[in-house]
Amino acid sequence: MTPNSSPSSTAPSRRSFLASGAFAAVAVAGGAPLLAACGGSGTASGSKEGTTTGKALKKVMPSYAPTNLVQPDVPGVNGSSPGFTKLPDPLVASVKSAPGKGSSFRVMTPLWGTVPKKDNPYYTAVNKAVGAKLGFDPQDGNTYQDKIGAVLAGSEIPDVMTIPGWNMQGQIRNAITAKFADLGPYLAGDAVKKYPNLANIPTGAWQYSVFGGKLRGLPMPNPVIGNAFFYRKDLVGSGALPASADDLLAFGKEYTAPKSKVWAFDDLWTCIQKVYGLLPDAPHYWQLENGKLVHKIETQEYREALAFARKLHDGGYIHPDAEANKDADSKIRFTSGHVLMYNDGTGGWKGMVSEQAAANPKFDMQALDFFAADGGKPVLWQDDPAGIFTFLSKDLPKEKIEEFLGIADFAAAPYGTKEFMLTNYGVEDTHYKVEGGVPTFTPQGIQEAQPATLLYIASPPHTIAFPDEPKLVQDYAGWMARQAPHVKKPLFFGMQVVEPQRYASLYTPFDDLQKDIRRGRKKVSDVDAAVTTWKNSGGDKLRDWYQDLLEKNGSGV
Amino acid sequence: MKPRATVATDAERTEGRTAVPSGEDNSDEDGARARSRASGPPARPSKRRGKKTKAPFEPGGITRRLRFRRDRTLILMTVPAMVLLLVFNYIPLLGNVVAFQDYDVYDLGITGSPFVGFDNFTRIFEDHRFWEVLLNTLVIFLTQLILFFPIPIAIALLLNTIMSARVRAWVQAIVYLPHFFSWVLVVTVFQQMFGGAGLVAQWLREHGHEGFDLMTNPGFFKFLVTSQAIWKDAGWGVIVFLAALAAVNTDLYEAAAVDGAGRWRRMWHVTLPALRPVIALLLVLRVGSALNLDFEQILLQRDQVGAGASEILDTYIWWTGIKTGDFGYAAAAGIFKGLFSVAMVLGANKVAHMMGEQGVYSKK
Repeated sequence: MTPNSSPSSTAPSRRSFLASGAFAAVAVAGGAPLLAACGGSGTASGSKEGTTTGKALKKVMPSYAPTNLVQPDVPGVNGSSPGFTKLPDPLVASVKSAPGKGSSFRVMTPLWGTVPKKDNPYYTAVNKAVGAKLGFDPQDGNTYQDKIGAVLAGSEIPDVMTIPGWNMQGQIRNAITAKFADLGPYLAGDAVKKYPNLANIPTGAWQYSVFGGKLRGLPMPNPVIGNAFFYRKDLVGSGALPASADDLLAFGKEYTAPKSKVWAFDDLWTCIQKVYGLLPDAPHYWQLENGKLVHKIETQEYREALAFARKLHDGGYIHPDAEANKDADSKIRFTSGHVLMYNDGTGGWKGMVSEQAAANPKFDMQALDFFAADGGKPVLWQDDPAGIFTFLSKDLPKEKIEEFLGIADFAAAPYGTKEFMLTNYGVEDTHYKVEGGVPTFTPQGIQEAQPATLLYIASPPHTIAFPDEPKLVQDYAGWMARQAPHVKKPLFFGMQVVEPQRYASLYTPFDDLQKDIRRGRKKVSDVDAAVTTWKNSGGDKLRDWYQDLLEKNGSGV
Repeated sequence: MKPRATVATDAERTEGRTAVPSGEDNSDEDGARARSRASGPPARPSKRRGKKTKAPFEPGGITRRLRFRRDRTLILMTVPAMVLLLVFNYIPLLGNVVAFQDYDVYDLGITGSPFVGFDNFTRIFEDHRFWEVLLNTLVIFLTQLILFFPIPIAIALLLNTIMSARVRAWVQAIVYLPHFFSWVLVVTVFQQMFGGAGLVAQWLREHGHEGFDLMTNPGFFKFLVTSQAIWKDAGWGVIVFLAALAAVNTDLYEAAAVDGAGRWRRMWHVTLPALRPVIALLLVLRVGSALNLDFEQILLQRDQVGAGASEILDTYIWWTGIKTGDFGYAAAAGIFKGLFSVAMVLGANKVAHMMGEQGVYSKK
């Protein structure tokens, strides 16, 4: 899951992480069981390539038993995430007793932010609550890709390791199959009911945690759509908002004023693709036309989207630093008013609003409703059902795996529970204070509890729960509810597909090519030559491979 | 270490000093230099005698064993450097065996992966992208060689004319400073200055001109990276030449001045000849590491101008190895690069010999 399709830049990872939402809660969202749709027989389990569906998959899937502990203030519709504007009083308890037995676990997770001190009061409180010693080893999330490669290639892997989906490039999926424990025996079917908060995780997310035929991951579920065009409502005023590709061009023309250092747009490629209904990236870059698989790069939409993006470049509407691929600063360009519209993961929304509340009280960022290029209804391809996974080393003995699953159950406690408050906010009066039903971090909380790493271990379904920003909850949940009817599942939705290694680098040139075209270094017509090369150097064989996969396993729709 | 003292002691002294500053990042060289530094100067007398008589026995009637006993302290002193060299340079070289394998880093490992012979190498010759990248690398290298290499020499000559020690120290500090900036910082500074929304472009806009964007122009890229390198490292490169200049006997200048030589004549007949061995040496080293451009600098700016203009051999190897997990092919490309570099060093050294210079090493 890389909403921004550039594997070279690190910023999208953080954005997409935020999109997956660090805050979570109860009610059932988006996770309608998908199994019914999967026909055919599963591929041989344990094989490195391919995917797992059908009976083989059914055998390893945990049951789904929603807990529904707290009712949302803004209910989810059509799979959109529910919103919570206040903290329930009193808090609910979802875990009866400390699940641990005093064992130690070395846990490696990513972290976007400043790494907190070891053995700080937050970790001590968490360890006490779970009854085990979790030795967290957080690593910079932006360079996590390079670290996991090295760690997995070595012989000593941590007991517990978190790997985001967008970091699974190259052979990482093979490594997961080779190095991590099969959780199926502990969770499949009704076994999961021993861990009520894990049973609260929808089946789609579990299905996506199957690697090499075995359930290996503890998922962090994703919302159905995690990226949006954001615009500065305070700067744009009350004029009509863009509702077609032409409107977007007009918007660019109206607001771009280089003399006063204002450009209308940042790099909008992620969302331009959505406007043109362009398929996502691997393995979702296929669609079925008359029974034959057609790749994203072979579609007319791909060329149209590129041609449109090129128009934004030619008009000079895009900030030059964005043109120079400086993605990491896109948020700053937006908050400082040098850019009026940018695209980002919706998970970052809260952070931006909180951060600007003090600095610029007028700051008002809103998400644009999606539209099709011609102004009609958009086709929004659904994001993967889970974005981040946590794995247990296969060297762990049975008892320790069971013990850790209990801890994961604690970590997956939904919004409104005591456990959630501890994992996400820390200890009351030390890390946060509740005033008028609104929890606020203390300075110590910002240092220790806000960069929480416990939530990566396992997470409840995605929710929008910001008791401190009730207006944002309305905006955000409302926006997602409006987009949800247009969400459509891509062909291989929810399937972990491991492509054969020999085709791994086939698609890479297109990442460079789309940038070259959008930024005026190549022509849209150059796509044809690249597609021919792609076909000849294995693209057609890859198509056959997928066709075979489809026939054997059925689709994920 | 073979005897190598064929020229004047001055040159050798300066050569010894090159080990410290020339910021080339090849660790093999560093190791080798560290050894030469450790064993070099004290062992000199024996070497000098060794040059005269090429007998199997060491000169002065000393046998190898006796010599070993005499030098054992020195040899002991070099042991740490040798061990480091062995552990960090030579033993990892064995890992290159993956170039001959269909290497699976996570599951099968080096011992379990199947051998595929020269498949990865034949792939290099079929991969047109590889040759584009090699060409890119060489183009950027040549641009840097022509535009960057002479600049430290020029600065050194200028600095040498500053008589006030105070002023000179200040100027030196200022020109050295950018060397300590990271590439991230350098690239950001350039973006803020010369980017499309940078200081210069914005100033032009305010004065009614069109803005420009040097940072995203693929044709300009080779000059962009060269000017970044100059800004960052030219000052640092000066150190070597300043050291060589300090070694020039001032009597020569006086004698030349007495003979009526002006400033230019003195530079031409005294200063430059003194610098010649150092220049030749650095040139050979530079050519030898032609394919070692600054990986970090290029990687940071790769997407700014697109891979077409900016992909170099190192980033390509990184991309295929680390990013797509095709380690076997990446290792083969790495070996190719290594062999190419060895050929370049040998070639450049030969040219240096033909020009009467000592180069990096000599057989005598």
